[in-house]
Amino acid sequence: MTALAFSLLATVIILAVCVFLSRRGRRRDSDGEVYGIEHETAGSFEWDPLTSELSGRIFDRKDSDFVASESSRQITRQFQRERTALALDWLRAVRDQVNQLVRAHFRASRENDALKPTDEIRLWVEFLLFQLTSGILYLLIWVCGPSRTAALFGYSLELAAQLQKVTEDILPAGRQVTAELMNNEQEPKNGDAAG
Amino acid sequence: MHGELKHEDVEAARRDLAERTLSRIRGDFARLIYLASMRNYNTGEYHHEGLACMFTESIAGRAIASCHRDVFRRLVLCPLKELVEQLELYASSNCSTPSELVRIWERLQPYRVTVPLECSPLAARFFVSNIRTALAILQSRHLRAHREALSALPDR
Repeated sequence: MTALAFSLLATVIILAVCVFLSRRGRRRDSDGEVYGIEHETAGSFEWDPLTSELSGRIFDRKDSDFVASESSRQITRQFQRERTALALDWLRAVRDQVNQLVRAHFRASRENDALKPTDEIRLWVEFLLFQLTSGILYLLIWVCGPSRTAALFGYSLELAAQLQKVTEDILPAGRQVTAELMNNEQEPKNGDAAG
Repeated sequence: MHGELKHEDVEAARRDLAERTLSRIRGDFARLIYLASMRNYNTGEYHHEGLACMFTESIAGRAIASCHRDVFRRLVLCPLKELVEQLELYASSNCSTPSELVRIWERLQPYRVTVPLECSPLAARFFVSNIRTALAILQSRHLRAHREALSALPDR
């Protein structure tokens, strides 16, 4: 019982810290100024196939080993800071996408009477597990850098894919509604970015 | 207007561009610079006289944009080690030394305008970060080689 209470407490603390870090990261957005890389567009994230493929590269350890072997400590440190900032932005983008998907699912599910409570609970469990894993991943990236967190990153991606599958399994007929809702949500966002 | 374009025509223009022009350019980095240079800074549209005559302006533009995206994707996804090699190859095929390239590129940062229009901000930032690191590595290599050459000189 005590162990369970401790686990719950630890989970809540990790989640709280992650939410705090995630919001803090978004507010500050100061890495761009420090490293000379524009960061102003990070908020207006657009998901494309290249971004999905990019994750493997951001978390790849070979690049970091190569830089360490070829250049000074200063350059290596700067490279690691840049990769960390990129990895955190990438993770935030994935979390935003998943949150959007789940929000759209719940909106669509309100109009559907044929939903099974067990499926909804399953979705919630998957969603919480994803939030927890990505929260831990966020912390680990922040502390250790992306190249040392590759395994957990893979697991987070699997969970995200699983979540997408679960939402589709539960609401096959509502998939179109979900897609439309997500499109509607994205349109004003893109408009803002352009403006 | 784009809806009227036939996929086969764009593919044919793409093949033509790849076979006649891009295959003669050494290295993906040089190809990227070449493709980006055909883009109008104000409209974001591509223009290639020969290709436009052979096909149409729109088909040529779509074909160039597609090649641009492909080459950029390859460079973004290639390991940093390969990117450094690409930069070295680019420097050598443009009659400049890597150190000259580093000096000018650190100031002008021309690689920023090589990013395709549709590219996500994250991918663009990743690319710019990689190029900056690759340039720093080239500089380090050059300095190391210079020091080694100096130390190899006989003492007077």
